Amino acid sequence: MRRVDATQLLKGVLDLAVLAVLRDEDGYGYDILRRLRAAGLEDVGDASVYGTLRRLFSSGLLNSYVVPSDEGPHRKYYALNEAGRTELQRSGKVWKGFASIMDDLLRERGTA
Amino acid sequence: MNLTEQTEIALYVEEVRQALADLPATTREELLEDLPEHLAEVLAEGPGTLTERLGTPQAYAAELRASAGVTGSVPRPPGGAARLAELRGRLGEAVRRADVRVGPLLGYAKASEFLALLRPGWWVLRGYLAAMAFAILVDGNAGPLGLLPRLGDNELVGLLLAAAFIVGSIWLGRRGVPAKRLPRLAMRAATVGLALFAVVGFFEADGDTRDFTDSPDTVTYINDYQDVQGVQDVQDVFVYDGQGRLVQGAQLFDQNGNPIRFGEPGCVDEATGNWYPARGLGYPYCPERAPFRAAPSPSEPSSSPSASSQPTPSESPSIGPSAGK
Repeated sequence: MRRVDATQLLKGVLDLAVLAVLRDEDGYGYDILRRLRAAGLEDVGDASVYGTLRRLFSSGLLNSYVVPSDEGPHRKYYALNEAGRTELQRSGKVWKGFASIMDDLLRERGTA
Repeated sequence: MNLTEQTEIALYVEEVRQALADLPATTREELLEDLPEHLAEVLAEGPGTLTERLGTPQAYAAELRASAGVTGSVPRPPGGAARLAELRGRLGEAVRRADVRVGPLLGYAKASEFLALLRPGWWVLRGYLAAMAFAILVDGNAGPLGLLPRLGDNELVGLLLAAAFIVGSIWLGRRGVPAKRLPRLAMRAATVGLALFAVVGFFEADGDTRDFTDSPDTVTYINDYQDVQGVQDVQDVFVYDGQGRLVQGAQLFDQNGNPIRFGEPGCVDEATGNWYPARGLGYPYCPERAPFRAAPSPSEPSSSPSASSQPTPSESPSIGPSAGK
């Protein structure tokens, strides 16, 4: 059997995770990475977050805007737009359904 | 951001770009568009070089590829369509590179410039091939593939047909690629079909011609008879006349007057096992090895039936040359 580890699982749900951390507050790349790690996804890599943001942006789920800064570099903030919120809801439902099935499965087998 | 940081970022981005060199240029640049700004953010967040914080550019590129290669939304793995699109992108990129590399060898900036000049030539060839395909479809049992698209074995019709198809093909070519999807797909499919037909037909025609011209005045029956049982091992031919007598020095010809050859003109001495060339011209090479012996006296005509009713080992001449296989 292919070993289940967090990195494997993360690949499938990183889009959803990024959409989720942007739900309440806009964020720039490194900020989003930090939020994901703070939430417990410690293995997530910077390139994965950057790539995911690029892809979500080019598929029209995110808006972006640049915030100038005096001391540091300009920061590109990302925000959920309407399509992004819809997608977050849809994918969220899929994930919850999937997760609860897995929960039940593991409970029945006495492994959780 | 100071100059060192800018250089560091530029170097890092460049190495990531090189690690992604196999991606289509547009995809790659789209992916890397924001990377310098993003890396500047990363640097601003804390101490350490980019490589210390993010790993090697190659590892970064690999992770980027994995996370961005996925199209569509969350729970879906990269679908077949996405993979196909990626493959197409890579192929396109490879073709573009080859295009630029081969061009100078031909004296052009790109090979495609040279190929574009050949386009009218392709139209003519396409028309001819279409006429050939048409003739074969309509007049299926026309025998071996010739050079003219024959309909009912008439050269004039063939010439006219070829001319009409060539003119039609040129007309189509000058109209350019159809704008609508369906006609365009139909045209591409037809082109692929014609190309396949051309390759198959070319080798078939070539094979037919070779079978006839391998040796200028001898038909190579042995090759064609390989799969006819009992004939592949024919080394010698024994001809018996109506009286059951062995004919010496017999010459065999087919309907075209071509000599028919079996085996090598020579014998193996049974005592010594040595091969020596045949003494006389024609068959049999080795009269002493004849399978049937006729009655010794030619003055006794009634002795023949038993011998002549025996099957002779050479039944082959009844099988015509299989040129039109």
